[in-house]
Parts: sequence; structure tokens; C-alpha cells
Amino acid sequence: MTVPVADTLLVPVARIDGCALACLIDASTGMVVAAMQREGSINLPAAAGGAADIANVVGLLSGELATGDGLEDVILTFNHHFHVIRPVRPDMDAQILLLVILDRMRTNLAMARRAIRDFCTSLSA
Amino acid sequence: MDGYGNLIAGRLRKLAVAGSTGTLPFAGHCDGAIHFHDGQVVYAESTRTPGTRVDAADGAPLPGGPPLAALPPFTRLAAILAITEPTVDAALELMSAESRYARFRPARVPIADPACGIPVDRLLAEVTRRQRLLRQLSTVVTADTAVARNPELNSPGVQVSARQWAVLIRVRPGTTPRALAWELRRSVFSTTAEVYRLLVLRLLSAAGQPARAAGTGLVSAEPGFAGLEAAGNGNAGNGPAGGHGPALISFIRAVPTEPGAPRRPARLGSGARRQGPLALPPAG
Repeated sequence: MTVPVADTLLVPVARIDGCALACLIDASTGMVVAAMQREGSINLPAAAGGAADIANVVGLLSGELATGDGLEDVILTFNHHFHVIRPVRPDMDAQILLLVILDRMRTNLAMARRAIRDFCTSLSA
Repeated sequence: MDGYGNLIAGRLRKLAVAGSTGTLPFAGHCDGAIHFHDGQVVYAESTRTPGTRVDAADGAPLPGGPPLAALPPFTRLAAILAITEPTVDAALELMSAESRYARFRPARVPIADPACGIPVDRLLAEVTRRQRLLRQLSTVVTADTAVARNPELNSPGVQVSARQWAVLIRVRPGTTPRALAWELRRSVFSTTAEVYRLLVLRLLSAAGQPARAAGTGLVSAEPGFAGLEAAGNGNAGNGPAGGHGPALISFIRAVPTEPGAPRRPARLGSGARRQGPLALPPAG
């Protein structure tokens, strides 16, 4: 479920070259708070739910490693897409994740990752 | 959705098509109301869910508060969540608890900022998703299942999120997820989900259910909850209400977990180095 007024927050992410889908997810409930989608073929609820699961599992891994580290981002590489998952602001009570799905043919991953990081910084500033 | 849920969904769709503004009251097993503005749901409330957090409403788009557009982006996001989460939670309760709707009462002034309106179809889709998840979880825990804290940890290290920590330190014998949700002023659904995760981590036990090993049946295939046997999250604080303390909380056992090794009391460490007594308040 997305709230139309929240969708506009994602405009800067949608401008990243090759961005096929961007969404903000409440990691606790799996609810999609905002979304912008360019490729209709991507199943948004499945992608968002999977991203929430991955962030939770990686979080447990870092907890078991007990090195004092926290999750910065996760990058999944599929044949045609990258999925970038990043907590927007770690210290918020309700943890919000940003999921960006990028077309591999049209994306410079390093530049995209930098843009995503800058977006999260600006969002929480 | 069941029969009642379908009836309510049909009524909500009609109000959406008509572009209604006003309140649809509910009575029965669960009293409450769903508020509309121009056919969109702007807020919902129920007697069985906590509603909006008072302290979260600082930037929330309630009457008298600043408009959404005037808020910085992240505050806007938090404000949207502060309204939408209790709204979905209340709608879920109203549509699941055999409540009956009464006559729609038109009004001019909406109870919340219309900018935060949720299209009815999106609301119904989210309610349906949550109902499906709760059905899957119901074999283990429901919002009204009594839970208790486990005195011992069976794993060498477990990380919990700030939300889970806030739940964990408030659990007393016989506490239910719904009671915890009221205490924390959080949604019943999200609190039930956190309790489920803590059950899977074996930090809690449901009444009549001894703690089970992770990955032995407490797993849902629903996206968003799949693999919940590993359900900590990446950032945790140790404040009593999900505060913003150190970035990591780890529960570290004092001894390695070789088979047959004797158990020792669990220890809490902030990060890998510091160790001390388990800092949970006494249960009960």
C-alpha cells in the first residue's frame, strides 16, 4: 500500500539512470509506504517483502558476528537487474528501507549507489 | 476476507466511488470509525487498537498541525507513517472482528490532513495482505496470545532491533501482543509481528508452547515474513521505548556452543567486547 503524497519523495531516485522501481518499505510490517515504478513487470509487493526479509536476515548475521557493525546496504545482482536495499535512517524507531531496482544495461552501479546514499542522507537531513 | 469483511469492503468502495467526505461508524465486536475525504481514507480508529502515538504526532498531519508539504522530507515520511500505520491497523481490526458499519455521516471537515489520504483499493489490498499473514502466524501467535520471556538464551549471539528490545523489556508473564501494543502505542499488527520474531529467536515463549529451535516450523512463506527464523534487524538501540542508543545490541553467551557443553547464564554485551549481566528487568 503506497500513500500518493509519499510517492513524490522518491522523485530524485527515479531520476537515476536505469531505475526501474524505487520504494520505501516499513521493515517492521513489510508495508510499502511509497513507490515509483517504471517497469510494470516487476511485482512490487514481492520485491518489497523480499527486501525486508533480506535486511532482517543480514541484520541478524551482523548481530551474530557481534563486531559492532550495522547494515549499510545490500546489493543483489540478477541477470538483468540490480536490487539495492538501504536503511534510510538507522536510528528511527520505525525502520524504513529504500529498495531501488536498476536495469543492468542502463546503470552505472557505482554512480547509482552513490546517488542512493546521497538521497538517504538528504532525506534524513 | 470473510463475509463481514466483504460487506465492509463493498461499502468502502461505494464511498470511494461517490467521493464521500465524512465518517463511517462501526459497532459490534469492535467499535470504531473510518474517516473519508473525497473518497479516500484519511484515518481509521478502533477500540481494539492504540491509534496514533501522541509523541509521534509532533509532525503528524492532524488538525492544527503543520501541513504535510511544509515538513522536511523525513519528518513528512514519519508523519505519514504515524497516520497510515494506525489507520491500516484499525481498518484491519474492524474488518476482521465481525463489526457492522452504521449509517455514513457526511461531514465537511476531515479528521486528518486530506493530503495523507489512502485510496480505498490500496487500503483493502494491505488489509488483505495482513490478514493472510496473521492467518499464517496464528498457529504460533495471535494478538491475544499470552507470551512470556525465556530466562535463558540458546544461541551464542542474537541481535534485536530497537523495536524488539522495547517489546522484550516489557514482557511480563501473560502479556499479550495487543497489551504490549497499547503500552508502546504501536500498531497491534507490527507488535504481533515483533513478538513472532522474538518467539522465533526463542527469546519469548507463547503460552503452552515451549521454545522451539529456530527453523523448526516457525517459518512463513509470505514475502515480508519469509525466513523469520533469522529476523533481527540491522540497527538497534537500547532505550526503553525503542530509543536511539548504541548501534548494536548483542546477546552473547559466555561459552561456545559445543554439543553437550554445560549452559551458563546469558550475558549482554554492547558489541563484541563488553560483557556483563543480562540487563533485562525482572519478569512479572
